[in-house]
Amino acid sequence: MNDFIVLLLPSLGETLYMVLVSMIFTVLLGLPLGVILVVTDKDHILPNSFIHSILSYMVNMTRSLPFIILMIFIIPFTRWIVGTTIGTTAAIVPLVIAATPFFARVVETALREVDWGVVEASIAMGATPLQMITKVLIPEAMPSLVLGITITTINILGYSAMAGVVGGGGLGDLAVRYGYHRFQTEVMLATVLVLILLVQIIQYCGNRAAQILNRK
Amino acid sequence: MINIRHLSKIYHQEKSKVVALEDINLSIEQGSIYGIIGLSGAGKSSLIRCINRIEEPTKGEIWLRDIPLTSLSPDELRKVRKKIGMIFQNFNLLSTKTVFENIAFPLRLNKTPEKVAREKVTELLKLVDLTDKAHVYPSQLSGGQKQRVGIARALVSDPDVLLCDEATSALDPKTTKQILALLKKIHQSLGLTILVITHEMDVIKEICSHVAILENGRVIEQGRTIDVFSKPGHGITKHFVDQIHHLPNHLQNGKILNLSFTEGSAGEPIIARLIKHFDVEVNILSGRIEWIQEKPIGKLTVEVDADSPQWMQIIDYLEKNHVKVEVVHHE
Repeated sequence: MNDFIVLLLPSLGETLYMVLVSMIFTVLLGLPLGVILVVTDKDHILPNSFIHSILSYMVNMTRSLPFIILMIFIIPFTRWIVGTTIGTTAAIVPLVIAATPFFARVVETALREVDWGVVEASIAMGATPLQMITKVLIPEAMPSLVLGITITTINILGYSAMAGVVGGGGLGDLAVRYGYHRFQTEVMLATVLVLILLVQIIQYCGNRAAQILNRK
Repeated sequence: MINIRHLSKIYHQEKSKVVALEDINLSIEQGSIYGIIGLSGAGKSSLIRCINRIEEPTKGEIWLRDIPLTSLSPDELRKVRKKIGMIFQNFNLLSTKTVFENIAFPLRLNKTPEKVAREKVTELLKLVDLTDKAHVYPSQLSGGQKQRVGIARALVSDPDVLLCDEATSALDPKTTKQILALLKKIHQSLGLTILVITHEMDVIKEICSHVAILENGRVIEQGRTIDVFSKPGHGITKHFVDQIHHLPNHLQNGKILNLSFTEGSAGEPIIARLIKHFDVEVNILSGRIEWIQEKPIGKLTVEVDADSPQWMQIIDYLEKNHVKVEVVHHE
């Protein structure tokens, strides 16, 4: 039992570290990207078909690569950003690159659900486009955004299982190395249980937060 | 107050174009409640949205006093918009903010000091009678209450003009009456100019001093409400008047006249004299008093049994006595 914990704990720590840091960067990058995607669409508050189609194309392109290929494909970029291509921190770069466009689409969907009448009301009140984004679109979409963050977090958790390829460690790596290569089924089982538990906790927290924020 | 000159709005869809407004000319006096009535698709919504440029006019000019609304820069336009309040059919409140914060919203956009905002919002909560609902969310309110929040929000930045875009169309008749009463009260106490668009005759009848009738993107009649509706000239105007009154079909088989009695003709026994003078039988089918803007119009629908030469004389006689005559049915 003790051996288990000694094995599991560092891996769990690595996973949490990767997921948390990746998530922070994903939100920081994906939220503005999603907002720009929405507001530059035609008939929205800052229509600009050039920016809209360029971004939309880039998002689609990144999303069409399977994570494991993306991770290897961008190795030079990773080196340039964090100075190394192996280890937990190095795994964060591809995680963010993969999750950002996904999250941007989630943000886009959430913002499009905001009642256009409310946006129109704010136009009539003399709001600037920036005020419409920060005081109307994002607050009104908050419950959906929180659910979107939840889904993205779980997605990153899934991707992070492949981080072992670049020596990122984490639970997925543990499961592969011990559970698969060394035929230690108990380790495999334990990691799977921990992962199931993690996903349950994340989803529960997300649902609760969204529920509290939702005033509809 | 508001002057609309040669306003047109054309929507371009793929290859086809839809003319929503064509050469609209209106002048709305300071302190009036001006109603614009029309069927759905007549262009009312486009018209009111062109005034604060939520929709861009295709052609024409709109003036608010000496401000040329149609040629303002985005920045100037935002400033002017703060002085034009607007309320909507679907209320358009922020669902994630309380009643208090919804009303305070325009002040937050201006970064009004908290203390000033608090006072102003408290005052408006009182005006719309929602003080006890200050801290609930819009989803917990009834339609009428939501519209009152909308009204308070529109008034919080002390506008000169209030635009009402089908403000009562989503409400039941009783609530509609309450909202109209509130608008009237606001109009009297704040003296602001109100522009109302609606498809409901009751709204016009209840509060509007002036009215314009819109059909297929054109203004076909305009003037003082009492004048326009005491002698409806166009088919569509009659349609709106008929919203308040409808004669059963089985009665429509003789020679029928609609008579409107206004100040000049209400004091005289005109029908009695008519019967004596022409020796005809007059059958009264319906009679009622319409209140338009708190002024009475007597409306009488009569069947007159007379032959053709006499018929023309009778109409002449009535018109000489200041009765407005409309021939409904002439066999």
